[in-house]
Amino acid sequence: MKKIGITTTVPIEVLLAAGYQVIDLNNIFVTAEDYNEYIDLAERDGFPKSSCAWIKGIYGVCLKEEIKEIVGVVEGDCSNTRALLEVLKLKGVKVYPFTYPNSHQLKDVRESIDNFSRLFGVSREAVEKVRKQLNEIRNSVKRLDELTYLENKVTGFENHLYQVNSSDFNGNVNEFKEVLETLLAEVKERKSITKKLRLGFIGVPPMTADIYEYVENFDASFVYNEVQREFAFPRAIKYDNIYQQYYDYTYVYDLAFRLRYIKREVELRELDGLIHYTQAFCYREIEDIVIKEKLDIPILNINGDKLNRLDSRTKLRIEAFLDMLGDLKEGRL
Amino acid sequence: MRTLGIDLGSREVKVVMMEDNQIVEKFKVSTLSFYKDYCNFEGKIVVDESKLDLERATVKVSTGYGRNNTDLKSFEAINEIKAHVYGAIYQTGLKNFILLDVGGQDVKVMKVEKGLITDLELNDKCAASCGRYLENMANLLEISLAEMAKHYQNPVELNSTCAVFSESELIGQIAEGVEMERLCAGVNYSMYKRLQPLLTKFKGRKLVLSGGVAHNQALQEYLKRDYNELLLLEDPQLNGAIGCCYYGRRVVDS
Repeated sequence: MKKIGITTTVPIEVLLAAGYQVIDLNNIFVTAEDYNEYIDLAERDGFPKSSCAWIKGIYGVCLKEEIKEIVGVVEGDCSNTRALLEVLKLKGVKVYPFTYPNSHQLKDVRESIDNFSRLFGVSREAVEKVRKQLNEIRNSVKRLDELTYLENKVTGFENHLYQVNSSDFNGNVNEFKEVLETLLAEVKERKSITKKLRLGFIGVPPMTADIYEYVENFDASFVYNEVQREFAFPRAIKYDNIYQQYYDYTYVYDLAFRLRYIKREVELRELDGLIHYTQAFCYREIEDIVIKEKLDIPILNINGDKLNRLDSRTKLRIEAFLDMLGDLKEGRL
Repeated sequence: MRTLGIDLGSREVKVVMMEDNQIVEKFKVSTLSFYKDYCNFEGKIVVDESKLDLERATVKVSTGYGRNNTDLKSFEAINEIKAHVYGAIYQTGLKNFILLDVGGQDVKVMKVEKGLITDLELNDKCAASCGRYLENMANLLEISLAEMAKHYQNPVELNSTCAVFSESELIGQIAEGVEMERLCAGVNYSMYKRLQPLLTKFKGRKLVLSGGVAHNQALQEYLKRDYNELLLLEDPQLNGAIGCCYYGRRVVDS
């Protein structure tokens, strides 16, 4: 099976219909034991110290793991990604462009997905057939999410992991489905985990996945993972076509659209506070100004760079924030 | 209902009593004398409230440096960061601000958004940016702290980052015949310069100043240049103890 790398979530239905094995390069990078080597490789080739670790990681993975073809999101993602694609082209990697239209109009999304399908020579029917199969899995992931916030049986980390892996279904759709079903069966037998504080994680998935375990030391758990959940397309099932599915996706469009969904989930999941993770040197750090203003809930902005563990300063900040959030919940503030 | 708050600082212990959320008693005693004259040790430190001449309080909350030192019998110990933030919220009524606390032997900077701590920076185990530095330099200049704190214009330059080496640098300046006002301003300005790297991460519009060093007028003048609004607390040194009382009251109410 031919391999194709992706730099973020794209219409995977098209790629699977074209017979590709899809690899989310972010996941390879962040789960590697020697993840630092990918960054080093990128920096040796000229990527600035003051640039996004994810971009450098993706670059390193592409080169080191000899990925020959990738899909690059040229609209709807950051300008660093665009520059990354230029460099990868220079290195001989074939780059297929995909666009999330800035206009955020359904007709433009339709045009973009049709163009993308044409590029790989797949029909709309073939794409819809794959979509139907994937929707079954998406439904199971959605169930896992419900078991997190409604029944409190799934940990914040598991919720993060399975949703974030839905961007490429771990490179193997059937295997992913099996593992997921086994987990769901096991989870149903679990007792509820009740923590005092219900947290939401907003922003890009973290470099520092130990945050999920860390907050549990302070009687808190994450019951919402915003962007990871978007990667899993929980609303895909209610649409009868792929265009609407990728139209109703928040992460790549404007902030106001994204905030509407966050607000809804804050209420639905009865969250006490949010942790807004941003990657160092990312434009999304600036968006924190708007997010804090528009959402009426305590928000802590934390920042990650190259390290895949929380540093002691960030730990201290999280501890102080959760300490006071507990006071607030119990009416002490 | 009475709540008692005690902040065990490195130089002084601050004691505040509140009744129905209003301060009814406040005073300071030296840390040494507090442990020696007002406390007994029965496995845990026991505060003898009668010696402090205080009526019985319903709730007692303590804070200070180090968990063991502040773990007083029948008191709830809270960390000092939180105590200071609660104190500042009580004293200013604000929910969004930067709090700079400069005490005898440590410095804390806290960012408060929507009434919760979202960022903090601590600098301790170094006297150069703390109250102790000002005390030493005032001794060297043979003037009072209050007098030294008045001068901020045309400061003489003191380069050293170390409190001990700054002393010899200051002596050098005295020997060169620099006027007293400029020497004082130099000491105050060097203190400000050492706080600056801590504060650069804490951009914002409102700065609340607490701790004993908040009384230093020169420091206030320098800080005013960096923030739109500088708020001085009525009782900057008692802020931690006030925070304890406020927190204690909220615990009961909740």
